[in-house]
Amino acid sequence: MVADQRVARRTPEPPPHAVMGLLNYITATSLDEDYAAQASRRRAASPTPGSQDDRQTGAATRHRPGLVGLAVVAVFGVLVATAAVQTRRNADESASSRASLVSQVNARKAELASLQSRAVALSRKVATLQTNDLQATTQGRAVQGRLAQLGVATGAVATTGPGIRIRLDDAPGAVDDSRKVHGQDLQKIVNGLWSIGAEAISINGQRLTALSPVRDAGTAITVNFVSLRPPYVVQAIGNRKTMAARLLDTAGGQTWVTLQSSFGLRFDITNEESMKLPAAKPASLRWARQPERLK
Amino acid sequence: MIAAIGLLLGVIAGLLLQPNVPLWLEPYLPIAVVAALDAVFGALRAYLDGIFDDKVFVVSFVSNVLIAAVIVYLGDKLGVGGQLSTGVIVVLGIRIFSNVAAIRRHLFHA
Repeated sequence: MVADQRVARRTPEPPPHAVMGLLNYITATSLDEDYAAQASRRRAASPTPGSQDDRQTGAATRHRPGLVGLAVVAVFGVLVATAAVQTRRNADESASSRASLVSQVNARKAELASLQSRAVALSRKVATLQTNDLQATTQGRAVQGRLAQLGVATGAVATTGPGIRIRLDDAPGAVDDSRKVHGQDLQKIVNGLWSIGAEAISINGQRLTALSPVRDAGTAITVNFVSLRPPYVVQAIGNRKTMAARLLDTAGGQTWVTLQSSFGLRFDITNEESMKLPAAKPASLRWARQPERLK
Repeated sequence: MIAAIGLLLGVIAGLLLQPNVPLWLEPYLPIAVVAALDAVFGALRAYLDGIFDDKVFVVSFVSNVLIAAVIVYLGDKLGVGGQLSTGVIVVLGIRIFSNVAAIRRHLFHA
């Protein structure tokens, strides 16, 4: 340690860029050092250094840009002009490509809208044709009845009937997570409703089917892959006289009673004489197939 | 005076000819321009200091442009092109600013 210090004391002055810090060094040496070096070399070489005569005539001729300087400055001008022209050309190109993208997007959107409306019209036509076809025979009428029943049960068609409406909401002015409704709270209610014989359930207008997940996605709860916002209104069709009481007996109902009393979450059940639950969006099955013998 | 004429000639030539920059050179053109700007302002300051020298000007101009372009090219090859060009711009920008400050002191004595 002591030896180190002695060595350090003996070493010569460190170079300026080691002491000054980078930014100060850059500022201090912003002029190319070669200009000063060249000037001092010339001064040393001239026979009468410092003479008034030399400084005026010599400096006047040698310290002005000559033809070479002119050429370099001209090159600089070409560079600047080229860069400016190039930048402008590129800006034009990117603007035009953006405009063409926008027009493509709009064209595709219009195409999509027309195709969608065509799909709706066609499926309506299929439904009428199916009805007409099935109405023709007794067997067909039976099949049609079964089809309607299955549609209600699976959520493929809209449904009406009596039932209960449950309004769930975060505690008033809730900030922390424990006072907000989570996906699992909603799952428990839905589970409880199925277990007491609900025949159709929707949450904020999203009809639940065999393929409907209820889950947290970030801060929102998604049902059928659609994000919902509180308050959550769960509508369940079933026996409205007994459902409310029986729901409170289920594990889900118990959970919500606790959530209401300890955390202040909102949990209101109302009886409804008649509700209309919408149909779920048709699911596209990519893997599931009908077994051969049922066809 | 001669420098102003040269600049004017160069700009006019560039605008008239509109040389097509090859695609691989395009990213290095702006940084080359900034480097050239630094050399030009350095030359102007040296001229006002009375120590201007043609040879030094030419050498500093060419080397500035080449080194700036090569640094950015190298950075592009190494995947740090953006950061390196930021570094080059910062250093050249500081130099340009302090040179212009010196020029201002010469011209306005303030």
